[in-house]
Amino acid sequence: MAVLQVENLNFSYHEKKILNGVNFAVEQGEIFCIFGPNGCGKTTMLDCILGLNKPDRGHVFVDGEDALALSAARKAQKIAYVSQKSDRTFPYTVLEIVLMGRTAYSGIFSSPGREDLEIAGNALNSVGMYKFKDRVFTKLSGGEAQLIKIARAIAQNARLIIFDEPTSHLDFRHELNVIKYIARIIEEKGVSVVMATHFPNHAYLFESYGIPTRVALMENGVFGAVGVPSAVLNQENMAKIFKVLTKNFRDTNGDRVLNYVVPVDFCAGGEW
Amino acid sequence: MLNKNHTRVLVLVCLVLPVILIVFSLFVGRYDLTISDILSILLEKEKWLADPDRAIEYSLVYDIRLPRALLAFIVGGALAVSGGALQGMFRNPLVDSGMLGVSSGAGFGACLGIIFFHQSFMIYALAFCFGILAVLLSYMTGKIYDSAPTVTLVLGGVVISAIFSALISFMKFVADPMEKLPTITFWLMGSLSRANFQDMTIAMIPVTIGIAGIMLIRWRVNVLSLGEREANTMGVNTGLCRAIIIVCTSFATAGAVCVSGTIGWVGLIIPHIVRMIVGNDNRILLPVCLSVGGCFLLIVDLIARSIVSTEIPLGVLTALIGGPFFIVILKRTKGGGSW
Repeated sequence: MAVLQVENLNFSYHEKKILNGVNFAVEQGEIFCIFGPNGCGKTTMLDCILGLNKPDRGHVFVDGEDALALSAARKAQKIAYVSQKSDRTFPYTVLEIVLMGRTAYSGIFSSPGREDLEIAGNALNSVGMYKFKDRVFTKLSGGEAQLIKIARAIAQNARLIIFDEPTSHLDFRHELNVIKYIARIIEEKGVSVVMATHFPNHAYLFESYGIPTRVALMENGVFGAVGVPSAVLNQENMAKIFKVLTKNFRDTNGDRVLNYVVPVDFCAGGEW
Repeated sequence: MLNKNHTRVLVLVCLVLPVILIVFSLFVGRYDLTISDILSILLEKEKWLADPDRAIEYSLVYDIRLPRALLAFIVGGALAVSGGALQGMFRNPLVDSGMLGVSSGAGFGACLGIIFFHQSFMIYALAFCFGILAVLLSYMTGKIYDSAPTVTLVLGGVVISAIFSALISFMKFVADPMEKLPTITFWLMGSLSRANFQDMTIAMIPVTIGIAGIMLIRWRVNVLSLGEREANTMGVNTGLCRAIIIVCTSFATAGAVCVSGTIGWVGLIIPHIVRMIVGNDNRILLPVCLSVGGCFLLIVDLIARSIVSTEIPLGVLTALIGGPFFIVILKRTKGGGSW
């Protein structure tokens, strides 16, 4: 059974159709990358899965259960979320932030206990950030903060983690670090990941780590093409959706086969 | 986060300091009581009750100083805890316990009580009811447009507060200037001078319910302060939690101000002082706020009733003492865990 099953998702905002019948399924241990231009409906769709938006029509099943009917706590035990950037908040310590991932496992009038503290510590360890536990979260760099949020998602112990452009404002090194840890938790913990991204090469990178990877090209609220990266991120599709001429390259590094796609020029008629 | 030893010391201080201050406050006043008198009044109640010549001393301790000290502690604690919880929920460090209009609503209720009834129970009852009514109206105003619930709630609070403040001004304008107006003015500046055991009991019921509720839900305040989206995806029923926090803080604040009158500043500044000392985790922050807020108002009240021969209104002193206190703490902790 698929971990996530999305059926005929439709959503409109103020009469404007944003999602136009989206269908897909994500298996255990798989990463599903959603790639598309700004405003194509990526975040709206993720919000529908997370229960932050209520779709007009369609279903979301997590582990075979209707996600739209689950309580907030039950849903959080199944789906965790790592946002692009955290809102400004009070200067909590890193450990406090990760501990908040355990909220779904405590009643409304209780707090996380000793066991939860241990789980939070282990989660920090698994992204190599345990030594940061007493630092102030709001003073961390963007890359460090993303790793802390990944640790929080791990502490939440959900089968599905949703990432919304997790590397969009990170430097070159931190971007790789976040991608590596996402790959590692998929491999080690068998979680499934849905990730919205602006970088097509992320999908190739996951593939090169040996993670089962699929990409969906999203345009105007529907998926244009879905499949393994090399089948989707080709010249024809990129030209159709972005009006950009691209070249695909291939290289190796030891055992790893590295594919990547590079923008070359605007297509005819696709200039600004 | 505090280490284990720090936490132990902190818990001890938070428990012992209020007791010391309450006992100390029994000695403070124009009528001198010796240590042995007070100890014997506290410990050998019957002996004093049996002796009509010493009724003044007995009454001074049990009817005046002790209830007043306890009331000061409860009111200060309730305001500080409510302010801290609302700051977390609204994710806004400028919010205080009166954010949703409790204080101005209660002020208007008290004006009505003073003008039309001039009977202390009716003043409490009206102040409490209008305090709660103001919050209800703020909440409904915030619900009209619910795209960013906390922002519209704050706006709702500001609007309703403004309306009730205007109504208070109007009541002052029409009140009899010889008799009613001074009473209204003193009420609005806050005082515990009328405190007795009956007042304390009235204040205790809603305040205890409110504080207990906030203490129980304080972990959720942490998560809510990360923002609507994140809190929701971490398993918090944000609407329900917000409603519980609003109900509890309103009960605590309305219960406190209906007997003490308007006391500003405690609900804003005490949570910040505590943030600088113990950090922002509401599991620790809010209980410490209860103790520190209570002790702060106790000290302020002691000063208010002993520094000059007439009583200085509490609302005046909280800012005069709290302001410099805040600056000293800011300087010593360099902001610590604060913003």
